[in-house]
Amino acid sequence: MKGPALKIGVLGPYGAGKTTLVGTLSTTPVVSTEAPSSEGGKATTTVALDYGYLDLGSLGIHLFGTPGQPRFLDVLDVALQGALGALILVRADQPSQLPRARELRDYVTSVLGVPYLLGVTHMDKERRWEPREIALFMREPKERVLPVDPRDRDQAHRVLVRLVELACEEGGRCG
Amino acid sequence: MSKQEKIEGALSRLQRDMPDVRAAIVASPDGLLIAERGAGDAATRLAAMAATSLGLGRRIAKTVNAGDLNEIVIRGSDGYLAVFAIGEKAVLALTLPEGGNLGLLRIEAETAVRDVLEEL
Repeated sequence: MKGPALKIGVLGPYGAGKTTLVGTLSTTPVVSTEAPSSEGGKATTTVALDYGYLDLGSLGIHLFGTPGQPRFLDVLDVALQGALGALILVRADQPSQLPRARELRDYVTSVLGVPYLLGVTHMDKERRWEPREIALFMREPKERVLPVDPRDRDQAHRVLVRLVELACEEGGRCG
Repeated sequence: MSKQEKIEGALSRLQRDMPDVRAAIVASPDGLLIAERGAGDAATRLAAMAATSLGLGRRIAKTVNAGDLNEIVIRGSDGYLAVFAIGEKAVLALTLPEGGNLGLLRIEAETAVRDVLEEL
């Protein structure tokens, strides 16, 4: 591992692709905590955290994925302590999850107070909201809302790099 | 009697045999409340936390080659929270005040785990 280290939180509603994204980006075996899901749509769900690591230039990036359901708020408080940037994933095809995404964005701005980006997943679905529509709903500038396929290393990498740039500009913790 | 009532019955029996136990909850492994006794407003939060500690505990047990997870005990200055796996299907969480008998709690929990497992 190299220094300096940068901790990035990955948030988002249930089933947005957080665990997948951490798995795609991490170059070390991911520490994940999955339990069978009672809520459908997928087989398992994160109950504590997903931890992954990768080198980005001279930076060591520690990724902390979190559970999406509101009942895990306490976990967010613990898992995201010390995070210097946040990536919030939102599904393009489930507008019913947008209010939850907005709550998480508000959590990032009010509790963490760190730079963040919104990543729009499931963009391959026919019925979907475009990133600019999601930006409008979230009242975010459109450059903060980027499409990302969490299974695609290049796309995930691109969004992470943009977020790290923001974190470095605003936080000045990147050496 | 419904499944939930039977599980609540198991929790009530545990509290009757061990009145020190303040809150007793059963949750799914992904943190949804199944049944509770005495947890009050904290029940849904406690259900999520029980699942989180079980999930993380399993992972830690694996990492240190401790095998399958049986229990997690959290001890604070004023009491305990003990979390027990109910097979793969659920999780049992019990709170006990400081000075409570943890050994007895384990024995009572074992009975409750067996009872609840029959209903799931």
